Amino acid sequence: MNSIAQTEIIKGNIQVKKRSFRVGNKLLKTGLISWVGLLAIWTIAAHFSDPQFLPSPLATLQAAIVLGSDGSLFVYMGYSFARVLAGWVLGNLVAIPIGLFIGTNKVVRSLFEPILNFVRFIPPLAFITLFMMWFGIGEQSKVFLIMYATFFVVTINTLTGVLSISEDKIRSAKSMGATSVQILLHVIVPAALPYIFTGARLAMGSSFMAIVGAEMVAANQGVGFMIWNARLYFQTDWIFVGLVVLGLMGFCMDRAFGFFGKKVLNRYNVIS
Amino acid sequence: MVSIANKEEQSIVIRDLSKAFTNDVGEQSAFVLKQVELTIKKGEFYILLGPSGCGKSTLLNIIAGFLESSGGELTIHEDNKRNQTNRGFVFQSADSALFPWLTVEENIGFGLKMKKTPTDERKVIVEQYIELAGLKGHHAKFPKELSGGMKQRVQLARVLANDPEILLMDEPFGALDAMTRRTMQKELIRIWQETNKTVIFVTHDIQEALLLGQKIGIMSVGPSSKISDTYEVDLAYPRQLTDVSFNKLYNQIQSHFDE
Repeated sequence: MNSIAQTEIIKGNIQVKKRSFRVGNKLLKTGLISWVGLLAIWTIAAHFSDPQFLPSPLATLQAAIVLGSDGSLFVYMGYSFARVLAGWVLGNLVAIPIGLFIGTNKVVRSLFEPILNFVRFIPPLAFITLFMMWFGIGEQSKVFLIMYATFFVVTINTLTGVLSISEDKIRSAKSMGATSVQILLHVIVPAALPYIFTGARLAMGSSFMAIVGAEMVAANQGVGFMIWNARLYFQTDWIFVGLVVLGLMGFCMDRAFGFFGKKVLNRYNVIS
Repeated sequence: MVSIANKEEQSIVIRDLSKAFTNDVGEQSAFVLKQVELTIKKGEFYILLGPSGCGKSTLLNIIAGFLESSGGELTIHEDNKRNQTNRGFVFQSADSALFPWLTVEENIGFGLKMKKTPTDERKVIVEQYIELAGLKGHHAKFPKELSGGMKQRVQLARVLANDPEILLMDEPFGALDAMTRRTMQKELIRIWQETNKTVIFVTHDIQEALLLGQKIGIMSVGPSSKISDTYEVDLAYPRQLTDVSFNKLYNQIQSHFDE
């Protein structure tokens, strides 16, 4: 039989457990555990391996400090980021109106959809050489490549968003006296926004893929160039700096975009 | 005198109307509607009653101007121009009809905003219909924060804010629970009596039809359905389910659907 004191102790234990569970839950949400875990596994793996083959996190950090001290790392990051941002923004500016146009027009859709579904399977990397021929080896070809990488994801998402709008919404707007232009701006665009947002977000990923490829093939600047260049000097740690920096840039850009979605587009129910 | 004379005016007249859908290659299906005859007076509360799939929603959509008829005549206010704005449509599903990115207030003000009504004036009108629909205190809420009944109130207020002459309602309370439905039915009668709109209300619920309608048009089972019988319901509002004549009418109408 439990005495009152014992019950109190048991209760106390449960409370402590509950509290520690809550703390654990919070910790889990910050993602800290995942990061520490990843670093730990990396460190252990590096410990049993040749630093030329797999440098440790510490060695990578040291390399990053070396690369950062003369500013070259930041210049590379700046170049890559500027290319991605320019291509991604321009790609969205082209893709969203086209997606809306295709989505709202049956004839246009039946004309474009087959081609769209053909071309979108050609990866941006396959176009690098061609784009260099067409647009030169300067910034233009890289920005175009990112635009290409962005275009299909965003167009198809926008199109899907338009097609998923319930007929009732359009009809009710019409019966309340909205013109076609008003329906486009006040019903179709806001209703499709969650899809457009998700498309733009996915396109960020493909943009980073495309830029690194382009910088490896033809560039004297950028993180992709840095990684490719490191190969010549057998600087595996530089490669790792490049990888981490790419992940970090993508992560920050995604978070910033998600934050923008939450603050500005919250009422449109975007997933951020 | 004038108001009495107006009451007798015809609002909607339908003669020999038919509807068949065509598919992508232009083939016509069997007639959904055939030889539909219908006359509705101004200010009347008219019920289109029929089993599921009889084409009553199709008929309502044709009256709304959302669908074209395949033949026959449709006259609205002695005018067969397709001016959509004098008809307000309340959809069955508030979720698919309301704009989830707009607040209650903004949803109700949508039509006025599209017509570029000055902001001050719009605010006054929106406030008026928020009050009429019993939505006070919910101004700034988004549709997802409201219950099913409240959402239908928003839809009703949103349509009324455009001051339509005709209110078309497609099973608007079909998805609500029984208690909420009763409340909404009472509210609708109150609003109808206050605003004097012509109402066409589609339902498959005989009880609902008898609680609400002045006239009930019974649609035959499709295909080629038409309005086979019309009942005048000469009972005072609010109507009682236990009333003897109510039950008599109920059984009479029910007999149409018994095989």
